[in-house]
Amino acid sequence: MKYAYYPGCSLTGTARRLDKGVRRIFTQLGHELVEIPDWNCCGAFEYGNRKDLVEFSRANLEKSGQLRGTEAGIIAPCPACYKNLREADQERTYPIYHPLELLNPDVTASLSIEKDLKGQVFTPYYGCLLMRPDETAIPDKEVMEGFIERLGGETDGAKVKAKCCGGNQFFINKWATEKLSKIILDGSKGVIVVFCPLCHMALTSFSKNRKIIYFTDLLLYVTGERKTL
Amino acid sequence: MPKIDVIAELAGYKREDFSVCLGCKICGSVCTINDLSVPANPQALLLALFLQKEVAHDDPVLAYCTNCYNCVSACPWRIRIPEIVRAVKGEMGLETPFEKAFKSSIGVWGRVYEPYVFLKSLPFLLREGYLAYVIRWKEYMNFHLPHKVKDMGRRQRKDRKER
Repeated sequence: MKYAYYPGCSLTGTARRLDKGVRRIFTQLGHELVEIPDWNCCGAFEYGNRKDLVEFSRANLEKSGQLRGTEAGIIAPCPACYKNLREADQERTYPIYHPLELLNPDVTASLSIEKDLKGQVFTPYYGCLLMRPDETAIPDKEVMEGFIERLGGETDGAKVKAKCCGGNQFFINKWATEKLSKIILDGSKGVIVVFCPLCHMALTSFSKNRKIIYFTDLLLYVTGERKTL
Repeated sequence: MPKIDVIAELAGYKREDFSVCLGCKICGSVCTINDLSVPANPQALLLALFLQKEVAHDDPVLAYCTNCYNCVSACPWRIRIPEIVRAVKGEMGLETPFEKAFKSSIGVWGRVYEPYVFLKSLPFLLREGYLAYVIRWKEYMNFHLPHKVKDMGRRQRKDRKER
């Protein structure tokens, strides 16, 4: 199947590994991702004027319209981009997906698995925007747990998986991000698995020895494309 | 003091929409700011705006809102407090140099070009000690050339027309 792909700004820079991972996994699943031409920033959380935010994402929806007819929908891996796109499409004319919606157990069961996760502990960490608000949250809030446990891995951190890491405050009040991230780090065990570039940066910045990976890293590891986690 | 009508419009509301607030303070009880051991009361901020009372520049909700949306999920009326907070911050000019650089990048490139944001906010980053994290940011360091977005949509077309 073909999807329009909206990487968003982070995935072209600091979260390039997530971008590569999403592209690889969808290729493995036999899908084609076609990047929306000349896409622009979604505005993240930086605009006090809601109309500005909506206009940014509407421009992206219009540009994705050039691909319509051949695409099954738009994929937006960054949780902030995903939320902004969903909110701009009030009429629900564009199917907009977060990769976690499409990487459900039925789909990931078709991946060619080469390694299991037995004996390893993971904390699937969703953070805020994949869980809230209800209108734009992903429907299956245990999708990462399902995948990890199916491959024999142990999951932890249920109490902190939807808490805020404070990533949004990182370049405003970094002490606040440090305190909030440490709640996640201290309340969980093993490798932390995320899907948000901002959570990745916040948790990486304040963890001493913990491994923070993207869910796509985990998928590439079990399918043999990554040697280590 | 930001005008309630302006804030309401910026956040996509009408003034009377705020009158539905029941004063239950559940927004405060679920607020992430509590985890910072800082007392947060978003309901008091809403009330102050509604009654046109003074809002302190250092109100903890304005200073520390993380956009976690816990309050929105808990609110019986689903009042989108983070968006109201963003509108108030914008109106009161409470943006940090990093936030200004972020928006400036969007103005210049149409995207957040991280090397540009980093350089533009470098004095702030140096002053606030962010370089201490650079050693942990190795995987984030990858240079790429910027892309200049040609079409920013209706807003850009409207701006051009007005010019």
